[in-house]
Amino acid sequence: MQEVWSKRFLHYIEEVQKYMRFIFTGHIGLVLVFVIGAGGYQYSEWLKVAPQDFPAEWLVAIIVGILVAFSTPVTLLKEPDQVYLLPLETQMPHYFKRALNWTFFSQFLVPVVVYIVSIPLLNAVTALTTTEKLLGLFVVIVLKYLNVHMEFHYRYGNRGALIWLDRFSRMAMSILVLEMLLNTSYFGLVLLVIMAYYNFVLAKRIKGQPLPYEHFIKVEQNRMMRFYRFANYFTDVPHLRGSVKRRAWLDIIYKWIPFTRNNTQLYLVWRTFIRTDDHFYLWVRLTAISAVIALFVDILVVTWIVAGALAFATAIQLKYALLSSSEFRMDMLYPVPSAQRPAAVQKLIRTLMIVQAIIVALCQLNQPLFFVTPILIIIVGEVTLRMAKGK
Amino acid sequence: MSILQLTNVSGGYTRKPVIKELSFSIEKGELVGLIGLNGAGKSTTIKHIIGTLLPREGEIRLNGVTLNENMDVYRGSFSYIPETPVLYEELTLKEHLALTAMAYGLDEKTLAERSEKLLKEFRMEKRLNWFPSHFSKGMRQKVMIMCAFLVNPSLYIIDEPFVGLDPLGIQSLLDQMAAKKREGASILMSTHILSTAERYCDRIILLHEGRVRAQGTMNDLRKAFNMPHASLDDLYIAMTKEQAGE
Repeated sequence: MQEVWSKRFLHYIEEVQKYMRFIFTGHIGLVLVFVIGAGGYQYSEWLKVAPQDFPAEWLVAIIVGILVAFSTPVTLLKEPDQVYLLPLETQMPHYFKRALNWTFFSQFLVPVVVYIVSIPLLNAVTALTTTEKLLGLFVVIVLKYLNVHMEFHYRYGNRGALIWLDRFSRMAMSILVLEMLLNTSYFGLVLLVIMAYYNFVLAKRIKGQPLPYEHFIKVEQNRMMRFYRFANYFTDVPHLRGSVKRRAWLDIIYKWIPFTRNNTQLYLVWRTFIRTDDHFYLWVRLTAISAVIALFVDILVVTWIVAGALAFATAIQLKYALLSSSEFRMDMLYPVPSAQRPAAVQKLIRTLMIVQAIIVALCQLNQPLFFVTPILIIIVGEVTLRMAKGK
Repeated sequence: MSILQLTNVSGGYTRKPVIKELSFSIEKGELVGLIGLNGAGKSTTIKHIIGTLLPREGEIRLNGVTLNENMDVYRGSFSYIPETPVLYEELTLKEHLALTAMAYGLDEKTLAERSEKLLKEFRMEKRLNWFPSHFSKGMRQKVMIMCAFLVNPSLYIIDEPFVGLDPLGIQSLLDQMAAKKREGASILMSTHILSTAERYCDRIILLHEGRVRAQGTMNDLRKAFNMPHASLDDLYIAMTKEQAGE
């Protein structure tokens, strides 16, 4: 059983590493360094003038409490397991022991780092001694450990039903424990013992219950999906299947496409764009960033550069997304000219650029030169469409 | 004039040809079965006919034209039901039908009339606004079948149609095929379900290692293999043994 885990684990780490490389070498890595640097600087400047009545204990307790409550177990279970591992049911506790250890070690650093970062703040507005702060750190680690086990036991026993309720109560408990402790009230420790006892009860209750494979596999798949989706912002994840939603409130748009043969591809690409989360949110994201910059940045040249860059990104990414698929689709057999698809995609993106331009312009109406940005967006979009190769 | 005519067609994915000098034809109103072992070249043959692979040598004529001569006529002359259903995850069942109708130049009235009948036949009326992610394999297959029968082409190309369909679905499909045949359409069907092929096909083409091993009616095949009372299963097994003996 330990061998099974080790093999899985190795494979998993390789997979994560493969994508992490792209994430950190990409432009986002650079942006992150800047953001952390700037954030750190702002934080240290603010500490100098922090008001004495600032509710630091509550703030720290709430942030850490939220972080420890989200303790999704990393089980690395796969779909075939519910068939092949079935005869090994009694051996599974050994497997899960290792899985939970990994869950704890891969997740505990985040709340710990947040706590450590908050220590200068605690120094500035509270009178906690070093021992008390160290005790706080220790309690954060214990809380994380408990939460990992409680979430696993709860999921095991209830197959994930009402998991939000379980999470919320654990979150509330964790927040209270830490808040009391930071106010040097040792009742927090009593609460901690109660949590440990509750965990013990949950653990006892699942003894002899069959392993809810389906639930854990779903949890695991969703977790990996989130990771892949995140990685997909930086690089192309091959086996990522974009999820689809109807977005019925946008159905009205389709009415503008008449039912004729030369609109076949237009009929298709509009629906593909609106209902595929990847395409739709790509446009929403880039438009929103452009709009927010236009709203809050007063230096016109900066808004022009940002709007231009985002317009370029919108046009080129959507064009690639809609035209570069090599998978077989039925429309490849339709008796319509093969140039119809690129033409339809161009028409779609042109419309989307105009909508983006209007939204950004509305955010800049207070500027006398508000009309420059939308014109820029439309021109950049059009040039990108014409220059970028389709396939 | 034959509906479909293959003349000395060779081709494949790479330089090494998978199908070699294939020649056969399908006449109006005929149901022809394409039979062969795994890897015999059935799917490759079909890919050449539908035009996703181009022949290296030889030519394929559909309703008298090649794909190069007149793409619209060629593509408008057939509909294709792939072995694994290929659907748009972002379109509902209703929209799949509408999209197909648009592409093949049907008007909305014809679409409504024909789809109503098909939906009833395949018992999918209540699923018009569903997305494919909620469909089982058999239902996905039915969507493909309905789209194919919606356009009323002169040739239906059906790849392994009976896998994944429930018995009622299979019966509906056979009924539809028979009805279209009576109206004069031709059907090319590849399958492993030999008893069904034997019962329904007018002619059978036996593919073996990329070549036509034998073709004709059941009686022609029996003569070719020198097995006067054999069923298609027997002939198929005889062909397998032939392969093993080589």
